[in-house]
Amino acid sequence: MDRADGWGHEEGRQVHLKLLSRVEENPADLVCTISLAGVERTDASFPRESVIELARRFRGHRGFCLTDIENPDLLENWDAAATKIEQPICVWNGGNGTFIGPKSTEGTSELLNYILSNPFVTTSGVVSKFKLVVQNASNKLNRLWKDGYILRRECVSPSGGTEYQYFRIK
Amino acid sequence: MRSSEINITFPSGWIDGQKFDQYINMSAWLHNEPVSKITFNFGNGCKVMVDAAVRILSLANQLISCGKNIYLVFADGQSGTMGYLDRVGFFDLLDPSIKTNPDRPSVSSATLHKDTNQNLVEIARINPKARDNSLPSRLSERLTNARSGSNDGQLSNATYTVFAELIDNIYQHAATSVDGYAALQVYRNGNSAKVVVCDSGAGILETLRPAITSERIQKLNDIDLIIHILNDGLSRFGPSRGCGLKTSASHAIKYNADLEIRLPKSLLKLVPSRQVYEKNTAHYSDNLSLIWGTHICFSFLLN
Repeated sequence: MDRADGWGHEEGRQVHLKLLSRVEENPADLVCTISLAGVERTDASFPRESVIELARRFRGHRGFCLTDIENPDLLENWDAAATKIEQPICVWNGGNGTFIGPKSTEGTSELLNYILSNPFVTTSGVVSKFKLVVQNASNKLNRLWKDGYILRRECVSPSGGTEYQYFRIK
Repeated sequence: MRSSEINITFPSGWIDGQKFDQYINMSAWLHNEPVSKITFNFGNGCKVMVDAAVRILSLANQLISCGKNIYLVFADGQSGTMGYLDRVGFFDLLDPSIKTNPDRPSVSSATLHKDTNQNLVEIARINPKARDNSLPSRLSERLTNARSGSNDGQLSNATYTVFAELIDNIYQHAATSVDGYAALQVYRNGNSAKVVVCDSGAGILETLRPAITSERIQKLNDIDLIIHILNDGLSRFGPSRGCGLKTSASHAIKYNADLEIRLPKSLLKLVPSRQVYEKNTAHYSDNLSLIWGTHICFSFLLN
C-alpha cells in the first residue's frame, strides 16, 4: 500500500498478488503474519480482496494472521469481509489472539482458546485436558482445522505411529 | 417522426432530487427519440440542492451524449442558483456543448476555492480511467467534522466506508461512457448533510438481475430486491462479493441516515427502522422519467 487508506477491489487485488508472490517464494512457511502498522482505515472490499480471499484459498494448508492494529475501528470492516467469506482470521495483540469473521461454536470455543495459548496440541492432549473421548476430541480438532481457525501437521507420535499436531496461526 | 422541444421550469424554492423528478416527470420522457431540444429553466428564487444538482448534471450529460440540444437558463443569473452550481463545480463537469444563459463563468469558482469550504465537497468525477484516491477520505472528513466537530474514529471509519464502497461499486460495475459523480453539502440550517454518489450505467437492478441464480431472489420485486441487497448483499460475481452496498448501508444506518435510491425509472426512499432499512417504512415511485444509472443520496442528521 502506498497510502494509509486501503480502498476497494482493485487495490485489494494488487496487494493480494504481492502477498501471493511472497507466499509462493516461501513454501516452507506455513504461517504468514501480516502487519497493519500504518494502515488507518479500509473499506470492506479491500481486506476481502487482499488478505481474506488469500486465506480462504490456502485454508487448511497455510494460515494468515494480523498484527499491529493501531486503529481498532479498522477491524469492523475486516470482520464484515471475513464473515461474508466465512473465513476466520486470527488477530494478535501481543500474546492475545482473537478471531474476526465467523464465530466458533459454543462447543469448540473453549478448545480454541486452549490452542491459542499453546504452541501446539494433539488429540491425546485434548482428551486428557478436557476429559473427552478420543473420537469427540478428534472431531472437534478436525472441525476447527477445516473451518480455517487452526493448522495441522503430521508428526510421529510417541508410540511410533503418526498423529496430527494442531497449532495456532501465529 | 416530428422532433419536439421540451421546456422544464423549476420554480422558486428549494429543489431537491425528489422535486427535480416531480418537474421533469411532467413532460415527455426526455430520452425519447422525437425529443430534440430540452431547456431547463431555473426560475427566480430557485435554489438547487446538491442531490438535484448532480442529477441534473448526469441527465444533461446523458442527453447531450444522445445528440439532443440542451440549454440551461438561469433567471437570477450568477447571483442566484447559477452561482451555487458554479461553486460546487457543476459547470466544470457539464458537457461543453451544453449552452447556458447567461454564459458559463469564464473562471470556475469551484476551481478557485476548491477544498476551502468545510461544508462542501465539490462535485467530483468518478471514472475508472481517472481514479481519485483522495475522494472517499475528503467526503468522510467533511461529514465527520460536520457531524461531530471532533476526531471521532468510529464515525470517520463509518463514513469512509460508505463512500469508498459506493464509489468502488461504480468502478466495478457501471460500464458507461458518461462519468459518475460524487458530492457532499452540509445544510447547517437544516441540520443535515447530503451525500450523493451516482453513475450513468444500466442501473443496479438491471445489472444484477441477469446474474441471480437463486429462484427465490429472482422472484423478488424491485423494492424487495433492493432491501435484500442492502441487508444481505448480492453480487453478479458470486456469493463472496456483494458486500459494498450492504456495508455502506450498515454503517450509514448506525447514524440514522435516510437513503434515497433513484433508479432508471423509479425512486425508493428508505428511512432507518430498528437499525435496518425496511420495506414497510419505504416510499416507492415508479414510471418516472428515464435517467440512466443509479443515484444514491444519504441524508445524515448532524446532531
